[in-house]
Amino acid sequence: MPAALAAGAFQDYEDRYQVAIATSETAATGASPAPRGPNLLRRIASHWADYIYVAPALGVMLLVIGYPVYYTVYLSFFRTSPSLSMNDISFTGLDNYITVLGSSSFRDVTVNTIIWTVFSTAIAFLLGLGAALALNREFLGRGLIRGLLLIPYVISAVAASYVWRWIYHSDYGIIGALSMQLHLSDRPINFLDNTHTVLASLIVVNVWKEFSFAMIMLLAGLQTVPDQLHRAAMVDGAGPWDRFWHVTMPHLKGVTIVTILLMVVANLNGFTIPWIMTGGGPAGASDIWITQVYQIAFGRIRFGTASAYSVILFIIMMVLGYFYVRALGGKDDGRSE
Amino acid sequence: MTSRRGGPSAFELNRRKFLGYTAAAGAAAWLGSPFEAFADAKTGVDSTTWTPDYIKSIAGTLDIDTAAECAKVVPLDYKGKLTYWWNGTNQSSPDIDKQLEKEFFEAFAKTYPNIELDKQNLDYNQMLDKVRTAALGNAAPMVARLPILWGVEFAAKGQLQEFGPTDAGYPLEEYWPGAMKSVTWQGKTYGVPTNNETMAFIWNSAIFKAAGLDPEKAPDTWDDVVAYSKQIKDKTGKNGFGLVARANAGNTPFRFMPQAWANGGGAFDEAEDTPTYQKVYLNNDGTKEALQQLYQMYVVDKSVPASALTNTQTENEDPFLAGNLAMMISHPTEYAYMLDHAKKATGADKEMADKVVADMRYGLMPKGSKRRAVVFGGSNVHVFKPEFVDGGKVDSMAAKAFIAFLTGPEWSTKLAWDSSNPSNFRGFKSKWMKQRLDQIKFLNVTTSMLPYGIPFPVIPESTEVMNIIVPNMIQNALTGKMTVADAAEDAAKQANGLLSGM
Repeated sequence: MPAALAAGAFQDYEDRYQVAIATSETAATGASPAPRGPNLLRRIASHWADYIYVAPALGVMLLVIGYPVYYTVYLSFFRTSPSLSMNDISFTGLDNYITVLGSSSFRDVTVNTIIWTVFSTAIAFLLGLGAALALNREFLGRGLIRGLLLIPYVISAVAASYVWRWIYHSDYGIIGALSMQLHLSDRPINFLDNTHTVLASLIVVNVWKEFSFAMIMLLAGLQTVPDQLHRAAMVDGAGPWDRFWHVTMPHLKGVTIVTILLMVVANLNGFTIPWIMTGGGPAGASDIWITQVYQIAFGRIRFGTASAYSVILFIIMMVLGYFYVRALGGKDDGRSE
Repeated sequence: MTSRRGGPSAFELNRRKFLGYTAAAGAAAWLGSPFEAFADAKTGVDSTTWTPDYIKSIAGTLDIDTAAECAKVVPLDYKGKLTYWWNGTNQSSPDIDKQLEKEFFEAFAKTYPNIELDKQNLDYNQMLDKVRTAALGNAAPMVARLPILWGVEFAAKGQLQEFGPTDAGYPLEEYWPGAMKSVTWQGKTYGVPTNNETMAFIWNSAIFKAAGLDPEKAPDTWDDVVAYSKQIKDKTGKNGFGLVARANAGNTPFRFMPQAWANGGGAFDEAEDTPTYQKVYLNNDGTKEALQQLYQMYVVDKSVPASALTNTQTENEDPFLAGNLAMMISHPTEYAYMLDHAKKATGADKEMADKVVADMRYGLMPKGSKRRAVVFGGSNVHVFKPEFVDGGKVDSMAAKAFIAFLTGPEWSTKLAWDSSNPSNFRGFKSKWMKQRLDQIKFLNVTTSMLPYGIPFPVIPESTEVMNIIVPNMIQNALTGKMTVADAAEDAAKQANGLLSGM
């Protein structure tokens, strides 16, 4: 059977299956579109206990997230004194934003951040997907390998960064020593002290640390793929690639979106590895947004500028958060249809 | 800060007065030396008097009763509570330092049994950020011992209490004038010096010999350092000079600034006889020459560790002990560290480490075209204002008692055992000074460097300039991101921006 035909036949089968599932779930739950308008108060009242349960968490969030966010936005419009005395600040409007967006370093740091985030996320996700697909199959030693692959994820990022610093060390690193012993190079490879290699070297560490997370998430997703679908596809003559692409991947869509979004957000905030391993250097070659914000705030004591920088990042995160919530919402909607 | 930028300020006038020979003369009178005639304008330390022989001659000539001295300030039965942060010993510190630090706290508890001390030992590279953040969050300790460069920032922020040696019962004349300058902001005193130190030049005589150099002679100039480093790399394959150029790390300016000063450069005009801290020297010929020397070693000759851009001094120690690094700049404590680590090594490592310790030599820092220079370093102890302290209260009497105990001749000597010099002049006359001179090799060399000491600029912007702008300038030049001249100009632009309040 030609692959395209097989894929088409299988798509048709899958669509029918999804409709059947949705119909049966709707019938079972009797769910209907949520009422709006005048019923709102009644709906809130009917869930009063739920609101009480989440109230403490909301209160804590308002205190430890809401207020700092408000204060950061407030400070971003002021020039602050090094002491952060509120008697000694002056309103500067959008000056801090203009300073940040107009600085030459912002462009370089943004490029670094995009490279760091995109490559870290993409490579860690693909490795995690590969590992999840492999570990989803039954084979001897699967449990042991699954445990071993989880090690990077549970190791402290600080400890891992120090260990990797020595692995990479430009004079006495293990990789450099091995490469010389194997006659691959005549001097140790300069990973961290070279502006051309430092960011890639840090991305490798980040991927090593992070791919287990993608693996866990995707492994959980894979276990929700109905086995009968694979069997049915096999009966219809679908090969391994067709089964992966047309059976497995559609079922992983939700978890993939969530995983990628979480990883993107984590990488945008990925402070520990670059800061400990290089401090953003050499010559700013591994400086990313979050290390730059830290440097401006606590190295240069410019809280107003750092706040403006943080607000810009906050907006970017919020946009990503919007997609994240939509992805989650889409998944929930799918369940209730 | 306005007054500092708007012409001669009260601070400058006071500082000049302070730097005048009055204080030095007082010290000289007390010490019975011709101090006033030769006192160095920047540090108040006279090279003709403070020779190793002079220091040896006065050591052990004075009996000290610390408890009796402290009792004059705060009764020994005083009951109180104190929070204290400091950068103390760590896992890699020599055992003697750890032991003395332990004894210090035990002795304080014995002297003031009713003062409850809540203490935190912080890592050097984390401490500044932590103290800054804590003070901003009104969670600072009551008392903190900070490296010499940091205190002025907190004083300028208005976070420190006025507190000087006289509050702890010691006359001003018992401290180095240069050290007192580091605790002075706009004419007021905000701390007490605890120890003062200078680094020295350290080399492995066996590597020198293997490279065809005189094993007993340190490079006399910075040009010699560059040439020696290349010769060592070419002849032995080992790294010559232990360059340190990590960003945002205090080790970097402590090693680069002496080189810049020696050539007539600097961050500001801090190396001049009457510094104003208003002129930026980062792009002058002296600084550029120093930067060019680093470029020659790192980029052209490749005679220094390739890891220099991410290294702190800690990463130089093991290669030196393993006989893979020939020269470095460090404290006198380096010898104790090497001795300690050599003792703990085993097998072939021990054999090598013992040999390196035997081959270790200390000498004066190299000269440049203008002078010989070294950072006048050390630490000071400060008291935070109640509003910045956790709980909003400072137990002033407990703080006085603790500082009197810490900065007196006994403990300012003992806590500087293998690393530094006592801040309190009377420490030099104590029996403990005599003991350490007998025990610690090369102590006389670093003490001999004191007259060449130059304090970092006593302005709040100093930390940013030294820890961020200077290392970035070096990295920009050494990575090829900018030329040497452009890197210097870029750094000068940033420093000028700081002075103009940007």
